[in-house]
Amino acid sequence: MEKLYELLENCCPTVDFKTEKELVSGKVIDSVDLVSIISDIEDEFGVNIDIAEIDPSNFDSAEQMWALIESLR
Amino acid sequence: MLIGAFNLTKFIDSLSMTFVSGYFLLFVIIVVAFYYAASLKNRWVALLVGSLGFCAVMGGWQIVVMPVLVTVISYCAALMLEDKSEERSKRRIILIAAGAVLLIALALVKLNLYYKWDVKRFVFPVGISYYTFSAISYMADVYWGKDKAERNYFKLLLFISFFPKILQGPIARYKTLGKQLIIGHPFFYTQFCYGMQLAVWGYFKKMVVADRISILTTTVFNSYNNYGGAILFFSMILAALQLYCDFSGCMDIAGGVSQMFGISLEQNFNHPFFAKSGAEFWQRWHMTLSGWFKDYLFLPISRSSFVKKFSKKIGNKHGAKARKNTVIFISSFFVWMATGLWHGSGLPYIVWGIYWYVIINSSILLERPYASLKSKLKIDEDKFGWKLFQMIRTYLIFSFGRLLTIPNDLHATGEIIRNFFTKINMWELFDGTLYSLGLTIKEMHILAIAVVLLWIVEIQQTKFSVREKIANCNVVIRSLVYSGSVIIVLIYGIYGPVYEKASFIYMNF
Repeated sequence: MEKLYELLENCCPTVDFKTEKELVSGKVIDSVDLVSIISDIEDEFGVNIDIAEIDPSNFDSAEQMWALIESLR
Repeated sequence: MLIGAFNLTKFIDSLSMTFVSGYFLLFVIIVVAFYYAASLKNRWVALLVGSLGFCAVMGGWQIVVMPVLVTVISYCAALMLEDKSEERSKRRIILIAAGAVLLIALALVKLNLYYKWDVKRFVFPVGISYYTFSAISYMADVYWGKDKAERNYFKLLLFISFFPKILQGPIARYKTLGKQLIIGHPFFYTQFCYGMQLAVWGYFKKMVVADRISILTTTVFNSYNNYGGAILFFSMILAALQLYCDFSGCMDIAGGVSQMFGISLEQNFNHPFFAKSGAEFWQRWHMTLSGWFKDYLFLPISRSSFVKKFSKKIGNKHGAKARKNTVIFISSFFVWMATGLWHGSGLPYIVWGIYWYVIINSSILLERPYASLKSKLKIDEDKFGWKLFQMIRTYLIFSFGRLLTIPNDLHATGEIIRNFFTKINMWELFDGTLYSLGLTIKEMHILAIAVVLLWIVEIQQTKFSVREKIANCNVVIRSLVYSGSVIIVLIYGIYGPVYEKASFIYMNF
């Protein structure tokens, strides 16, 4: 999880990923940030994220992203 | 011709049924009456009959054919796409084939408009761009498992043809709108009043501001060589405002009418002229189109194996930042080309797409030099003056982009731009020329007051809900505001010969 926080903070330094719960639906991050985060997650954790999984319910918070990574491992 | 005085007979008689027509108001009253008279379970049927009736009355039964066919294709495709027993590759082919059929139909409509083929009645169903995109998003969401296929064909047909959104959108998603349409909504007085208020505000934007500006811009751009740079520049600035009031006005009418049925349409505008950059502007302007391109074009392209492999290769050589930029530059190129072609078929629209592609991506590419320049100039980003400068700059960028497509001829656009610099005649703004462009001094004053009122309301809307504030006032003030708004639209709306019936700009897309 710490690895994920580090990755997210590198990608969007101005966003507080520990408290933010509406990253996508609240438009805190845009589509460009989202694509970068997905690529970084794939590289870092060796998972493949399908387009069907790109949904606010999987990317609105760091916890949701972590749950997705765990389910894909 | 009647400007500044209301003529009920002309208003009713002269128009076929679009939003700006007496028939439309009558039509809405009838559908509302049938909707609330029906049982909760059957209220969607009143909406469906009303929506098909709207298409038929608007342009004949030929107009109904296309939404019916689009629904047949998306209905059948979605049922097959949901069948998980089929192989994924097979389902993918179904999605691509169904999407391609709908896009080819859309392309034929666009080409018909461009080449003026003689099959106008059949292949020019208004609003096809909007409901085609809604149908594609529905099929893709079912394919990805983000939504379920609708079993009832007629319920899906209502989603495709729902009359407040069929002319100019918003581009609805089945997930958001579909269920709202089917559930019967009970009558709520407050919501009904809010709906009427929003619609009246939309009519104000469209008929008092946009159609008034249209008289001036039509005069100037139809004979641009007769005017100097100052008048042309002034008209360019007004043309951007005209487009905003025309399109967002229509969205307010659509949203307001929908709210009378208890239905919320997706937000399409969020004060775009308060945007401080091109990228922010497109997050606030025609939001459902931007959102559609993001979800169904940008993301799939950026996640394609080619882009992934290519960007990784670049990233290995030049670092993570270069990889990120490669993904953005490749994916957004297709998005901007598609956005341009969605708006029109000719070369000006392709150039318009390239124009925005360059502007948005140059701000990403030049992020560091910009930051360094700002630091050197000691610019405080929190200062109001800097924010105002950014908003004006964004407005000018948008206005200039609009100029690329107004004459629909790049040579004419080039001439106009040349006149900005070679025929600067500031005096034209003060010597009375301004009042010879179709609007008298009185009309110009009405326009100026309307624009100030528009801006005041827009600013207030960013702070609180103006509608709630009015609703909380006492009955005298409320009545004055309500009746005053209607009277202003009726008296100061434009119903003249320069105002062409059914002339919402975005209706042609």
